Amino acid sequence: MALSGMRGLSVFISDIRNCPNKEQERLRVDKELGNIRTRFKNEKGLSPYEKKKYVWKMLYIYMLGYDVDFGHMEAVSLISAPKYPEKQVGYIVTSCLLNENHDFLRLAINTVRNDIIGRNETFQCLALTMVGNIGGREFAESLAPDVQKLIISSSCRPLVRKKAALCLLRLYRKNPDVVNVDGWADRMAQLLDERDLGVLTSSMSLLVALVSNNHEAYWSCLPKCVKILERLARNQDVPQEYTYYGIPSPWLQVKTMRALQYFPTVEDPNTRRSLFEVLQRILMGTDVVKNVNKNNASHAVLFEALALVMHLDAEKEMMSQCIALLGKFIAVREPNIRYLGLENMTRMLMVTDVHDIIKRHQAQIITSLKDPDISIRRRALDLLYGMCDVSNAKDIVEELLQYLSTADFAMREELSLKAAILAEKFAPDLSWYVDVILQLIDKAGDFVSDDIWFRVVQFVTNNEDLQPYAAAKAREYLDKPAIHETMVKVSAYLLGEYSHLLARRPGCSPKEIFSIIHEKLPTVSMSTVAILLSTYAKILMHTQPADPELQNQIWTIFNKYESCIEVEIQQRAVEYFALSRKGVALMDILAEMPKFPERQSSLIKKAEDVEVDTAEQSAIKLRAQQQQTSTALVVADQSSANGTSPVNQLGLVKVPSMSSSVDHNSTDPGMAQPNGTLTKVDPQPQPPSPSPSPDLLGDLLGPLAIEGPPVAGESEQNVVSGLEGVAAVDAAAIVPVTVQTNAVEPIGNIAERFHALCLKDSGVLYEDPYVQIGIKAEWRGHHGRLVLFLGNKNTSPLFSVQALILPPSHLKMELSLVPETIPPRAQVQCPLEVMNLRPSRDVAVLDFSYKFNTNMVNVKLRLPAVLNKFLQPITVSAEEFFPQWRSLSGPPLKLQEVVRGVRPMPLLEMANLFNSCHLIVCPGLDPNPNNLVASTTFYSESTRAMLCLTRIETDPADRTQLRMTVASGDPTLTFELKEFIKEQLVSIPTAPRPPAPAPAAPSNDPGAMLAGLL
Amino acid sequence: MIKSVMVMNTQGKPRLAKFYDFQPVEKQQELIRSVFGVLCGRADNVSNFVEADSIFGPGTRLVYKHFATLYFVFIFDSSENELAMLDLIQVFVETLDKCFKNVCELDIVYNYSKLHTILDEIIFGGQVLETSSIEVIKAVEEISKCSPSLSPSTCLSFFGPSTRPLLLCYN
Repeated sequence: MALSGMRGLSVFISDIRNCPNKEQERLRVDKELGNIRTRFKNEKGLSPYEKKKYVWKMLYIYMLGYDVDFGHMEAVSLISAPKYPEKQVGYIVTSCLLNENHDFLRLAINTVRNDIIGRNETFQCLALTMVGNIGGREFAESLAPDVQKLIISSSCRPLVRKKAALCLLRLYRKNPDVVNVDGWADRMAQLLDERDLGVLTSSMSLLVALVSNNHEAYWSCLPKCVKILERLARNQDVPQEYTYYGIPSPWLQVKTMRALQYFPTVEDPNTRRSLFEVLQRILMGTDVVKNVNKNNASHAVLFEALALVMHLDAEKEMMSQCIALLGKFIAVREPNIRYLGLENMTRMLMVTDVHDIIKRHQAQIITSLKDPDISIRRRALDLLYGMCDVSNAKDIVEELLQYLSTADFAMREELSLKAAILAEKFAPDLSWYVDVILQLIDKAGDFVSDDIWFRVVQFVTNNEDLQPYAAAKAREYLDKPAIHETMVKVSAYLLGEYSHLLARRPGCSPKEIFSIIHEKLPTVSMSTVAILLSTYAKILMHTQPADPELQNQIWTIFNKYESCIEVEIQQRAVEYFALSRKGVALMDILAEMPKFPERQSSLIKKAEDVEVDTAEQSAIKLRAQQQQTSTALVVADQSSANGTSPVNQLGLVKVPSMSSSVDHNSTDPGMAQPNGTLTKVDPQPQPPSPSPSPDLLGDLLGPLAIEGPPVAGESEQNVVSGLEGVAAVDAAAIVPVTVQTNAVEPIGNIAERFHALCLKDSGVLYEDPYVQIGIKAEWRGHHGRLVLFLGNKNTSPLFSVQALILPPSHLKMELSLVPETIPPRAQVQCPLEVMNLRPSRDVAVLDFSYKFNTNMVNVKLRLPAVLNKFLQPITVSAEEFFPQWRSLSGPPLKLQEVVRGVRPMPLLEMANLFNSCHLIVCPGLDPNPNNLVASTTFYSESTRAMLCLTRIETDPADRTQLRMTVASGDPTLTFELKEFIKEQLVSIPTAPRPPAPAPAAPSNDPGAMLAGLL
Repeated sequence: MIKSVMVMNTQGKPRLAKFYDFQPVEKQQELIRSVFGVLCGRADNVSNFVEADSIFGPGTRLVYKHFATLYFVFIFDSSENELAMLDLIQVFVETLDKCFKNVCELDIVYNYSKLHTILDEIIFGGQVLETSSIEVIKAVEEISKCSPSLSPSTCLSFFGPSTRPLLLCYN
């Protein structure tokens, strides 16, 4: 047993340790929690010591994985204890158990502040530590000035100041505004003159955070960083306690070099020279030694120096020196150094043009694929993938294939995807490509996605020279005893199309092909059976003159599947059977598949998606993005540069149609005719690939053009110019405000999207080539929560992102923090809380802007937090409806209006429209079948839940007009709801909206407003 | 930024788990289990780096060091240098060793509160606070003066693997 300052805690830990199993442990924990709970209930009897003991026990229990959902208040209350031991426990436990959004934390802000500004240094340290661990926005706003004072205070000891620096870093992360750039930049530079290495280390971390957001403001820190680096590298004035295994504070060296990587360049020639001297010293002066810890430390510095050299675009000579070093590292005994050597070589590929020098190390890198450490194997794979080009593709891909048979299960998927991509991108010839993919399917069929075999089929179909070769290869694989189902699919497909080209070879008669494929049928899934049936039909077609025995065999199979439960298979069986009885006519229909249109490889597209990281503020990454040369982008570049790059070798080769029929003439004269009429062939048997949809945009815009009145655009413009206030904002939302300066065209119609979102709760609000804004909403009573999904569609980050909400007076809206930068291909979610204060149709606007390259793009978008979102459907019976209807006798609670210019629609459609707006149609209440009665509940803070009733009387003779009556217990609500319904009926979505009433007087005199409208 | 520090024994029992961005308790346990799942399969002569993207999300790195019966694990993002993190683990363990004289797993189990105090003097809100073990010990001693319960407790049970000194076994 152990002695501890807290005997109870030690006893408890011993008990837990002595539990023979998890069950016993749980019992012991539950008992303890029960005990603590009761003790906490009558708090008066607890001494601070006991409180402390119990709180530590709770923390221990929490670490064991049990939820501790009480005692938080006790932990927080210990913070204000006057004595150190209790206070300490309060702070430590609070920062472990609570998160920054916990309500109790707010209660503690004042105590924490008093500790920070107080004279007691140990209290200061405790308070700073807690704030630094879990301080949130509120802490940032109320404590930042005090914390800043501590950092620069001359009377504070380093112990406090270094904590204050990191505490400020946390607060800055929570709210960047708390650090005033103008005032702080000079202070920051002064801080770097600090002699104490502890304070300097913390300050450097703070600087890294600051410069990663805004390097401009901190230029004056750059030369100071170089000075610090010189001081450390020369080992000047470095106290013994900061020398780690003989190396002057490796952490500070690393952090300083990291900070330097956030400055785009070092302009001052003197500073640059000094910096390169230091770097040179580091690069040359590091050796691999026996002591592991010393090795790690010196190489931490060395690898950071390498990163900085890459960043600074050093001369070629220094670069080759770096690569030589890395080449040495990837062969050393020390696994950590091997690992980082490979990783840094991969980074090197991104940043500079050093491919050829790296290629010299190819053999060693391939050896690393067989390293005992999977971490190292992965790095080697990444590097090989990155360094592959036409010159070495054959070697590398073949190595990867060989490795595939022995590779860890965990790596196979990535390995096969990478091999397939490289084979496609850099194939020296097409037959090699077919070989590679077939081998891939053979060795790792489980990991070969459909995309990969679809792609092979496309290439073979489009390249006539390849067809006999591919068919022969497929035939060979079928001889293997057990083959993967994907192999069955691809070989059946290829042999169905092209086995007739092999007819004279041994083992390739139609009968033999059929029987070897048919052997596989019992073991395959339904989707493969469908392919096999097509293959059989094609074999039949190619067997001219017909072989009665083969025909009977195949017909029997078709007959059998005619009653198959899978419709797809049943259909095929029935059709093929019927077709194959037609003899020669079959040929028209079952002729060879048409060539595939040229399109980007879905595989390469997939690879781009896979490789894009969700980036954080890493210097290397930022840099890579600036240069647009990350591996992900290399892929993209090459595939888009289809005309010149080696990729083109695999481009789908167009074969003149004449040569194709000539070719077939020679094999089978009967084929010429059907092939000549290929274009007329019914494309019923679909090629196994997703069809491209270039018309997507057209599709989206299509219905708009049909539905909208021909002058819609023009009239909209008129409305824009004629209106002010809300209406102007509203109209502006229909088109981006500054179309000319934006130079960015939205994709799809913004108004359409908005109207669609008014009726549903998730979808796209806005899209342009760079950004997509999606929305997902939840509504409960008068509260709503919208989540904005801001997605960056590009491979480079979006900067200066800003989202402002312009709420109308009746909505209370709170948008969470929107990050200023959206990393490439990343999506950020920004929740928006909405509260409806009173009925109104005014619309909230999202003012969204971002910067792409040098373009500032700004759009104003209406947000679908519209009136009907606060409606909840309710069905009422006749007994409830009529008394209500009668009690709301006339204006202003019940309003009636004859509406003209209604979009003609059948009654059923109108009912659907009402239902989709949450106005539930109550059938049978109105005896007249041409009328609709609907009910709903409206929620707002002022009205609470309020029943609304509506009646629509239509005229079957003239569908463009109707009479509408709306009733509710609130005059504003009645008016607003009536107007809302009218908007829905008059036209959706593009007709000019009736001008909305000015927000100041939305409902003072509905009658007058109405008159104005008409 | 350092996202998490974990200390667990070679059976997967957590001895310390500190998360610098908040994780609910179930998630914490899940992460500890996943990390142990990866670590327990690794031999001794391999690197100290493990691919952690699948556990903690893309761009996360994990370094660990194995001492006697314990794994010390740091999880951090790409703004930190991997080897420097490895050095920091060493500083942490050396500091423990100086505090407890031949520190072993049992010391860590019973001096749970002290372990927290030491870690808080080395890592602060996910950032490196102090790298000199001498400075750390000074700070911890100052705290101990204020808080008598934090004076180190010694293990009285002499048997079993959990009394193996961490550092002797490592070197």
